[in-house]
Amino acid sequence: MTRTVALLRKELADLRQNRAVFLPAVLTGIVSIFLPFFVAIFVPAVTGEQLSDSSDVEIASRIYRDQPALADLNAEGAIQAWIFQQFLVLLVLTPVAGSMSIAAYSVIGEKQARTLEPLLATPLTTFELLAAKVLGALVPALGLTLACFAAYLGGVALLAQPGVFRALLLPAPLAIIFILGPLAALAALQLAVCVSSRVNDARSAQQIGALVVLPIGATLVLQLTGSFQLTVPVIASIALALTAVNAGLMFLGIALFDRESILTRWK
Amino acid sequence: MVLTAEHLTRRFDSRVAVEDVSFDLVAGEIFALLGPNGAGKTTTLRMLAGLIEPSSGRVRIGAETLSRQNASRLRGRIGFLTEMPGLWDRLTVRRNLFVYAQLHRLSRPDAAVDEALDLLDMRDRAGDPAAQLSKGLRQRVALARTLLHRPAIVLLDEPTAGLDPESAREVRELVLRLRGEQRTLVLSTHNLDEVERVADRVAVMRARLVAVDTPAALRAHLFGARVRVVLVQPGASFINVLRETGFTDIQTNGETLSIGVDDHAADAPLLVRRLVEAGASVVTVVPEQPSLEEVYLRLLQRDARSGAVRS
Repeated sequence: MTRTVALLRKELADLRQNRAVFLPAVLTGIVSIFLPFFVAIFVPAVTGEQLSDSSDVEIASRIYRDQPALADLNAEGAIQAWIFQQFLVLLVLTPVAGSMSIAAYSVIGEKQARTLEPLLATPLTTFELLAAKVLGALVPALGLTLACFAAYLGGVALLAQPGVFRALLLPAPLAIIFILGPLAALAALQLAVCVSSRVNDARSAQQIGALVVLPIGATLVLQLTGSFQLTVPVIASIALALTAVNAGLMFLGIALFDRESILTRWK
Repeated sequence: MVLTAEHLTRRFDSRVAVEDVSFDLVAGEIFALLGPNGAGKTTTLRMLAGLIEPSSGRVRIGAETLSRQNASRLRGRIGFLTEMPGLWDRLTVRRNLFVYAQLHRLSRPDAAVDEALDLLDMRDRAGDPAAQLSKGLRQRVALARTLLHRPAIVLLDEPTAGLDPESAREVRELVLRLRGEQRTLVLSTHNLDEVERVADRVAVMRARLVAVDTPAALRAHLFGARVRVVLVQPGASFINVLRETGFTDIQTNGETLSIGVDDHAADAPLLVRRLVEAGASVVTVVPEQPSLEEVYLRLLQRDARSGAVRS
């Protein structure tokens, strides 16, 4: 474990000197934060029309006002709460994008800089190496997500109807950020590490790792069309499934990380 | 034996990179691997370092056979200087070394780093990012990293490649110092002068071992013992005198005679006496020593010929 911690510290120190690697995650975070504010605050302010004027979102309004915690919201506030909750799924993309770009860089970057061979010549085991690589990508990506969530909450508290931010502190939204987000990020980055052990450039790893984005996007669309809701039981089921996927990816990652081909086929 | 290679063979798909290579190394020995590019030197070092597995054969570290199960532990007894320095460019020299000190679980990593920096005379550059170092300095840091955990076995892949003459000399001195500490060193290099100066034994390889011996024994085996005599007169005038004395292998080049002998010490005084008695004025008499380069090239030529015959 001490070797994993030593390498993890090195990964974090290296990332501090290479902040450009965070750019995809920062941009994803900004877009994820901006979109719901554009829909719920900016468009009504510019057009002069309230969201509650539209009958399309009446059902959503009713759903939210039925919740005891949000019963005191006015119609506009309830719809805003609905929008900000639905778009919260997009924030999960932040750790996913962050961890993928960092993970792909951290294995392929080592290969390209020819720093992997001396590392493999130490007593470091494959598990220790991959654990450090995975944690080295996950920790900063989750930190960034927390920062984005704090900004999201702050923005809602400042710009939305009074009390709307309480809708983001209910169990389901918190579980999306603190359980689904990290688990999805872990799956994405383990996939990126698996792929980057076998491919020759970071882009290939990122493109294959980006497959994780598809179910997240699909979830958002299904939620917005009203055909699916991320309730606590649904979130718990997805979390269990992601845990199983992550365990499988961990074993796959160790099996795929072929020291010999990394040393002999990488020139 | 500290390190033993037993019939090491390594194939990559259909290509045989290393074929049936065997040798034993004792403590305090410097063993040089020589061979053209693609001869399997780096692959051999990687097998010795436990980085890749042989297709057949085995490596023994002390009494233990290197295997997938014990490779992690046994790698702790080995220091491997890779062909490329492989430093983390954004981190400082000290940080680069400190991470490795921790990976080797050294009890006092800071002290070990200081010691390694002092050994390679790099203390004043400890705070510099590795990216700012010249090629020679990067190689020094890589050497410091290799020796950080005081390994009993040191494998050096092209240790002086790209170094200026002064730095190369310092590395050679370091290698000799390590031998003095009873470390076992395996050196892969194209630098024959370097091998000449430091190696106790030399292995010439081209996938398989072409020859293994001390530089002196390889010379004697390939070229025999010779004495070079420079005269004032043309050497050809004295060939018959020498033949009558029993020296049959004689080459002349102007005033220079190159004479094959059985033993320098016994034969040189006799042939000088005969030459002087025959009226020759002797300017110099020296044992003729072919360079290691000549030995190396002769071995490879002979191997290429025998390879052509085999095929």
